[in-house]
Amino acid sequence: MSALLVIGTRKGLFLVRGDDERRSFEVEGPLLPGWQVNHALVDPRDGALYACANSWVYGGTVQRSTDMGKTWERSEGLGLPEESGLKLASTWHLEPGHTSEPGTLWLGGEPGVLFRSDDSGASWQVNEALLGHQTREKWSPGAGGLITHSITLDSDDAQKLWIGISAAGVFRSEDGGASWQPRNQGTEACFFPEDRFPEVGQCVHKVLAHPARPERLWQQNHCGVYRSDDGGDSWERLDENGLPSGFGFALALDPGDPDRAFVIPEEGAENRVTCDGRLGIYATADAGASWRLIVAEEPAWAAVLREAMSQDDQAVYAGTQSGHVYALRHDEVVEAARHLPPILSVEASTWQ
Amino acid sequence: MAVVLLPGLLATEAGGTKEFDVEAATVGDALRALPVADLVLDERGEVRSLVHVYVDGERARDLTAAVGAATRIRIVAAIAGGA
Repeated sequence: MSALLVIGTRKGLFLVRGDDERRSFEVEGPLLPGWQVNHALVDPRDGALYACANSWVYGGTVQRSTDMGKTWERSEGLGLPEESGLKLASTWHLEPGHTSEPGTLWLGGEPGVLFRSDDSGASWQVNEALLGHQTREKWSPGAGGLITHSITLDSDDAQKLWIGISAAGVFRSEDGGASWQPRNQGTEACFFPEDRFPEVGQCVHKVLAHPARPERLWQQNHCGVYRSDDGGDSWERLDENGLPSGFGFALALDPGDPDRAFVIPEEGAENRVTCDGRLGIYATADAGASWRLIVAEEPAWAAVLREAMSQDDQAVYAGTQSGHVYALRHDEVVEAARHLPPILSVEASTWQ
Repeated sequence: MAVVLLPGLLATEAGGTKEFDVEAATVGDALRALPVADLVLDERGEVRSLVHVYVDGERARDLTAAVGAATRIRIVAAIAGGA
């Protein structure tokens, strides 16, 4: 199966197609010129292409294409109710709904908001439970704003999902989004010296549930890398098992092996470049008990953002803020694209 | 009736049309009649902060101002960004 990488950048959307061996790649684009695409993907349920398209002038929206980017339809009615006192600033993450709910999608945005669509993205309804969450006043924005950037579903249970908000933390719903419970016990808020383990306020950078073992969550946080085996009720810290830093954004999982995960550590919050002057992808094959370095590029002072690492059943892909895309397969790294605009997201899909 | 002129990105979103004749009694009516009204106006119906609206060459700040058949409304993206 060939690879299709859907790549959101600060200046439009690109499609990068790779051969079966992930050695040769072709770039198509830019699509959606003029839009900053924070995240984009192909819905595996129907093949539609979705993009979180944002403009500093015209705001945030969602674009949908059923012909792989030749034509687009913009979502309607995307905004926040007046009584909330909030306005939608930007759109950040799209997540196809459960396989049992065709046409359903979830959308995360700024300021710390979540939407659901039941008509394939034509219209969206704001999640009131999160909008009015009793802990909202304790949330604070990170460098990217107060953003809902992670939405990850329980593959077995359509009513169960997790979200990650910077900097509010991880929240779990077991009733399809009707209520949300903070799930941050054991994750550190190292920037709160007086209360390092609060109920909320953690700066989660990315959280993912494993598709084959949904109670197993992985989290790249501002203050460490963590794994949970009980759906977020408790978290175990993993970066001290061989990573050069606990700080980073990118996180990818192996869909075929719940014990395998990939991260790209950065020096730290005050120096956000990859560690030790190289772009290093660190992999674990033992659920985070140990980590192994795979050098993608050296020397390099790169940065890979939270949505910019992905995987399919053949390879892991990472896109940098300097516009390069790398494919990692069987410990071999291939440059898939170069000189793209700053890369904000990479989502792997397949095509024939 | 008024004529509304769109900048490039809005024209693309409007299907490639840069100029619209709209039935409108006020500036606000004219903006709301556009197929890209959601990009010009936010969810409160207010002009987005970096969208500038000019009516017959003058910066318009009052959406209730009356327009006539010969009124030309030009939408301009403010100078912003840097990246």
